[in-house]
Amino acid sequence: MASIDIVGIRKAYGALQILHGIDLTIRDGEFIVLVGPSGCGKSTLLRMIAGLEDISAGEIRIDGRRVNDLPPRDRDIAMVFQSYALYPHMTVAENMSYSLRLRKTGREKIAAAIDGAASILGLNTLMERRPKALSGGQRQRVAMGRAIVRAPKAFLFDEPLSNLDARLREQMRGEIKKLHHSLSATSVYVTHDQIEAMTLADRIVALNGGVVQQVGTPLDLYDRPANLFVAGFIGSPAMNMIEGRYRSDRVSAWVELAEGLILPLHKTLQRAGIDEEEAADVEDGAAVTIGIRPEHIFLDPGVGGFEATVELIEPTGLGTILHLRLGGVSFKAFSLERSDAAIGDRLSVSLPPERLHAFDAADGVRLI
Amino acid sequence: MSLVASSSRHISGQRPLLQRLAMASEPYLYVAPALILIVAVMLVPLVLGLSYAFRDVRLLNPFSGGFVGLDHFRVLASDVAFARALKNTLLWAGASVSLQFTFGLILALLLDRPFRGRAIAQALVFLPWAVPSFLSGLNWAWMFNPVVGPLPHWAFALGLTSAPTNLLSDPTMAMWGPIIANVWWGIPFFAITLLAALQAIPRDLYEAASIDGANAVQRFLSITLPFLAPTIAITVLLRTVWIANFADLIIVMTNGGPADRTQIVASYIFTQAFRRLDFGYASAIAVVLLVLLMTYSLLIVLLRQSLLRRA
Ligand SMILES: Nc1ncnc2c1ncn2[C@@H]1O[C@H](COP(=O)(O)OP(=O)(O)OP(=O)(O)O)[C@@H](O)[C@H]1O
Ligand SMILES: [Mg+2]
Repeated sequence: MASIDIVGIRKAYGALQILHGIDLTIRDGEFIVLVGPSGCGKSTLLRMIAGLEDISAGEIRIDGRRVNDLPPRDRDIAMVFQSYALYPHMTVAENMSYSLRLRKTGREKIAAAIDGAASILGLNTLMERRPKALSGGQRQRVAMGRAIVRAPKAFLFDEPLSNLDARLREQMRGEIKKLHHSLSATSVYVTHDQIEAMTLADRIVALNGGVVQQVGTPLDLYDRPANLFVAGFIGSPAMNMIEGRYRSDRVSAWVELAEGLILPLHKTLQRAGIDEEEAADVEDGAAVTIGIRPEHIFLDPGVGGFEATVELIEPTGLGTILHLRLGGVSFKAFSLERSDAAIGDRLSVSLPPERLHAFDAADGVRLI
Repeated sequence: MSLVASSSRHISGQRPLLQRLAMASEPYLYVAPALILIVAVMLVPLVLGLSYAFRDVRLLNPFSGGFVGLDHFRVLASDVAFARALKNTLLWAGASVSLQFTFGLILALLLDRPFRGRAIAQALVFLPWAVPSFLSGLNWAWMFNPVVGPLPHWAFALGLTSAPTNLLSDPTMAMWGPIIANVWWGIPFFAITLLAALQAIPRDLYEAASIDGANAVQRFLSITLPFLAPTIAITVLLRTVWIANFADLIIVMTNGGPADRTQIVASYIFTQAFRRLDFGYASAIAVVLLVLLMTYSLLIVLLRQSLLRRA
């Protein structure tokens, strides 16, 4: 077990800058998930922690010790690859014991370690098989087994579940979480699956274009995304974004949407703990983007709602996604109710002020 | 339509004999052209050559040609020159292949890592392979010649020899002349095939191994070698058989001399056939070489099979 400090890490391939100064402190035993769109540098950062990529600038410390110039084998970390990278010419048992054999661990100790890992992962009957005689899920388990036999300082996972089908992925996700509970090992987990990120992480690091967008607990990122990127990236169906103009006077604040629609901001400000006086330093008339999650849109509120037209209905089984149009603005609403609405129907909806997020339209930074 | 009709008649067993015969031989008739071609091109010469081994075929003797049974082999069993040629063949093939392989592997490992100008280096490595064997034989013969070549003088300057003499005329060392030429000439084959095999090894296995704690040597032993083993087995097999039969360099550089010290079986066959014009005896030697090489190949193929089954 160990803490990992990442200080001002940069990565460049020639003139191409991939990571632009990442700072992150990973506490001992913490499960960190790196999320971000494809190509944002998640794998690169992970591989730098592992020692598989050179560090262009900055410093990585494991347990306070600088490891920039330490080869992977001296960092005492384990990694689970997306491709699993199992040794094809070794049996499952040999794959799992390889690292221990290299360390000249005693025979009985090795047997005990791989037996233990095998029973945690349900691999006992497969120990003499070679990887090519295993299913994808079984290979994934062997890759996990290979990582845990060694009790390393930290685990690194690079999209370990992305080659599995949806059901197996869900099952393995649960097992990884259980495993983390029992081992409580420091883990860095890369994924672009936000469900994995939300369910597994102690803290999520949202990365975009080689820059950290936000670090926080899953619910932090969900409830108070720091900017438009995080707001749009976390949550499915994605948050609705509506352009508007911030207005305020001495008494209250509101947002003017297209075509004269007005959203009062009063309760949003209260929730944010900002009193309306303070909020007034958002300039009157500033362009803002209002965000609201589909599941927070209130359908059929009776009085005080807007009249919206139903454009499309997507039943998901769990609930219903309604595509609505309100004046010139399209947005989605999610409801757990089965909807009996039809395309073209007019529905009354309300956007509860306490559920609204407001971002600066220019730089995307959260305002309220 | 007719097919259905004939097969129903087949069931009732009323078909005339001739037609049944035609039906039965039909598949063989389809493959006949290919079979005839293979027999004509491959088997006839082989059988003809084999048959010489049991006949007295001497070009200068018009009365030869009769069947002599195993006589050639009896003579062969006590032929001292043949025994020496067999020993020389072992040295020639063993030393050439193992040195070619060792240097080829080292070269392949060097070329497998990225560096500036790798493409050019790869092209250069391939170059000796493109030189005709006779030309490279002549070239090396001159290099070993103290009158025109630098090598004896270098060896002398380094203190390896007491005088700048020609390696090829030293009875105890002469075999190494053609071997050195052969190694130079054959390294590219191993370098290129092993490089191709190296580049097919997934990179993430090396990464996984280095994270697991393997150093460069351990990675080589536990990943590179197992992956290369089937390729190594097949290339070593091919090269050994090829080199055991490959007398060009020896004929050009030493012509079997001095005093038969560089005679290998293949060049001995050549000598028997075209110097003494005793085709029968030459064929008998060829048959022995064939049997030895086939036994060797079989062993290597079995080895490779077991390697592949393990991988
Ligand atoms: N060897 C390299 N040379 C140049 N550019 C590279 C190299 N390796 C990666 N990159 C670039 O670095 C960027 C980040 O790559 P990385 O693999 O870290 O992305 P990622 O976030 O893991 O994406 P994904 O989710 O698709 O795996 C990409 O734009 C990629 O093209
Ligand atoms: Mg990646």
